[in-house]
Amino acid sequence: MTEDLKKRAAEGLQMALAAGADDAVAHVGDSRETEFTYRDGKLEEVQQSTSSGLSLQLYVDGRYSTHGTTDLRPEQVRRFVEEAVALTRHLEPDPHRVIPDPALYTGRPDADLDQVDPSVDEVQRDTCLDWLKAMDEITHGDDRVISATSSVSLNSHASARVSSNSFEGTNQNTYIGYGSQVAMDEGDGRRPEAYRGVGARYLADLLPTEEVAREALERGLQRLGSGKAPSARTAMVVDPEAGGNLLGRLGSALSAGAIQQNRSFLADKKDQQITSELLTIIDEPLLPRGLGSRRFDGEGISAKRMPICEKGVLRTYYVDTYYGRKLGWEPTTGGPSNIIVELGDKGLDELIADAGDGFYVDGWLGGNADPTTGDFSFGIRGHRIENGAKGAPITEMNITGNYLELLQNLVAVGNDPNPWSSFRTPTLVFENVEFSGQ
Amino acid sequence: MSESPPQVHPYMTWFEVDEAAIHRVLSEAMSRGADFADLYFQHSQSTSLSLEDGIVNRANTGVDRGVGIRAVIGDQVGYAFSENLGIDAMLVAARTAATIADSGAKLPPQEIHLIDSPDYYPTARVWEEVDTTERLPLLQKTESAARALEESIEKVSVHWSDSDERVLIATSDGRLCADRRPMAILSCQITAAKNGVHQSNFASYARRDGIETFDDERIQAICREAVDRTMLLFEAQRPPAGELPVVLAAGASGILLHEAIGHGLEADFNRKGTSIYSTLMDQQVAPDFVTMVDDATIPNDRGSLNVDDEGSPTERTVLIEDGVLRSYLHDRISANHYGIPSTGSGRRQTFRHVPMPRMRSTYMLGGPHTRDEIIAAVDRGIIAETFTNGQVQIGAGDFTFYIKNGWLIEGGKVTAPIKDVNIIGNGPDALRDVQMAADDMEIDMASWTCGKNGQGAPVSQGLPTVLVKSLTVGGVND
Repeated sequence: MTEDLKKRAAEGLQMALAAGADDAVAHVGDSRETEFTYRDGKLEEVQQSTSSGLSLQLYVDGRYSTHGTTDLRPEQVRRFVEEAVALTRHLEPDPHRVIPDPALYTGRPDADLDQVDPSVDEVQRDTCLDWLKAMDEITHGDDRVISATSSVSLNSHASARVSSNSFEGTNQNTYIGYGSQVAMDEGDGRRPEAYRGVGARYLADLLPTEEVAREALERGLQRLGSGKAPSARTAMVVDPEAGGNLLGRLGSALSAGAIQQNRSFLADKKDQQITSELLTIIDEPLLPRGLGSRRFDGEGISAKRMPICEKGVLRTYYVDTYYGRKLGWEPTTGGPSNIIVELGDKGLDELIADAGDGFYVDGWLGGNADPTTGDFSFGIRGHRIENGAKGAPITEMNITGNYLELLQNLVAVGNDPNPWSSFRTPTLVFENVEFSGQ
Repeated sequence: MSESPPQVHPYMTWFEVDEAAIHRVLSEAMSRGADFADLYFQHSQSTSLSLEDGIVNRANTGVDRGVGIRAVIGDQVGYAFSENLGIDAMLVAARTAATIADSGAKLPPQEIHLIDSPDYYPTARVWEEVDTTERLPLLQKTESAARALEESIEKVSVHWSDSDERVLIATSDGRLCADRRPMAILSCQITAAKNGVHQSNFASYARRDGIETFDDERIQAICREAVDRTMLLFEAQRPPAGELPVVLAAGASGILLHEAIGHGLEADFNRKGTSIYSTLMDQQVAPDFVTMVDDATIPNDRGSLNVDDEGSPTERTVLIEDGVLRSYLHDRISANHYGIPSTGSGRRQTFRHVPMPRMRSTYMLGGPHTRDEIIAAVDRGIIAETFTNGQVQIGAGDFTFYIKNGWLIEGGKVTAPIKDVNIIGNGPDALRDVQMAADDMEIDMASWTCGKNGQGAPVSQGLPTVLVKSLTVGGVND
């Protein structure tokens, strides 16, 4: 399969060079996706399709452009590439734009990242329907459930990337995920919803479907009886699923592009303490079965383990070839792979007990952060923490602050990383967080 | 097959299909007992350009082409797409879609007839005919116009994108509709520095229109907005935390309607009983000066549609009339469920996606008050003026939107700029709590994209100046 992809990518590359590109990168990807959705006792939706595309990066007379097409009729592709090269000539030349240094392609790790589970392709429709029927039954296990939807999705993906300066690489992976969503009757017109889903490269790594459905129902029941708590400056316990989003927001401020454009509050912070000493974050591309694992990045740069933040000290930015040249920095890698956080020794319940009072946040509702200043304001979903235990669910509340201050206020890191994401964040506990409520 | 002369539209040639092929694929999709099927052919061509550090140094072009095949039985959907428009590939996809049903064919597809649609987005030229060299100067002009406005600007980034989309929809109940959809977006991001502090903000302008809409005056206005919004951030504070009266400035504040009400009125959530609005039809949900519409017919608006993505005619749908809830937003499945005509709200991101009820341009008509009266009526509160994003929980009704720029009101007067504030409220409560509305309704022309179940759709929104009695304001505790 990958040999055919390599051949097709090489054809795309040759076409670009023949049309006049000085350098080029061609990428060809095929994917297959199947999804079944089941709601309230019957199959609601079946979707299945395969998809292919060609994308190109062109370097023409010191100018640069990118292109993608899914119209793969040979004559159309040829015309598309010719027009792409012609368009590139109209741009302004940019001395910083060059194809990556082939030295960055060397030393590619040959570790087996274990990204393909052959059994994902073999999952039958009837198996999916059996899972979904069972999940549907479990999620309807309470009179207050108005509607419950469960779904299964199965994906497989393969791609090849070749460049005019000798890069050649292929990727293959599978993904399987399932989850349930429940809508509950609050009794006052409100119909709170809750979701539980899991996904992984390997079918065998998933929680059993029944457990996922039970947890979805449990989450729904926990949303009942929510109210707004008074505004306060207090402790915040962020659960592992919600933590990925909170830390993930740092990504844009860590990119060389943001720094070069003066839009990063983390510029000039390298080798400085940006969080409390409790936080160590590693970018780990070589994690077996990891959802963000890769042997080379989007530019072909060979993957390696990279500390982002060690005991609170910022160590590295995400630097690609282009912005690296603009800043005079060595490229590292263009963006995150798997994010691993060094774990503490306590679990969620213990950390809630330690917090004593405050709020437990298990999800976000809108909000945003400004990567230029680090200012943020997020809507939250979760529970009060009272006397060391999870209390009533909360609604209509926000947190507001600045990332640099928040990260310094990190007082505990859990031992419970979220396995269902490339951001494997554990429970995180912050103090002195500004909550807006009643 | 019928004996009448075949229906031919130029897009049939474009997609290399004829009436016979369409009939065969629809028949295959219905071969296991579906009661409806449709084909959504789409070809889109897009061009984007970026200016950074003074030069237009990046371009992207894209071509996407394929057909989405849907088989429907009641409210159950089978869906598959094919990027290959050869008959064999389409038949394979149709067979997959057909598996939602499990009997033999019950109905044959009807003979298709071409349906004419209005043209809500006339342009002088389609984007396919516009040369790159005509687009380039727009970015350069934007950069110099922005720089001329303010000395403390460090960086100006300008992003351009346009697309030219051809759509052909054939349905098993005999409709054949075609549409050509333009879109163009210009956005300008500014970074400025004062005393070592950087601030950044942006403005955008998006229309289903041709290059003629990007005249010097328009470019100047976009730059003015981007620069003003950035410079205000240097002085801006965080507001107090907690429940406060919120004045929504005319225009982009329509995000309140979109999040707090619009999503909850999408009929898929109501037929499933999961929307907080599902039992409120024909009830008073707002003061009687509130009339809210969702409109596909505004000339050249980002949210406008000549025909929806299921081939249904579009319209201006009155959702709330004089405070009374009058209509949901329907696609074909929900319209059948409720036994009423579709409101032409069935939309999909691309041929890879299943259509569902979506908003188009959502706005509230003007009310009886003035902006000055509204501000004077607030003792301690905020004005929300520019926004980056919003979200809603359909069932619980909790909605949020993020204010990038706003103002503090103290003693009925505007006193200081504020920034980076998330607002949370509950939809039906907020609607009941609308206390005043001015006569200054404006549709915002920024590049808004609505997300639902992983699908993006271009939309717009508008509002007159409105006072909501109380929302939870993300801020700082005393």
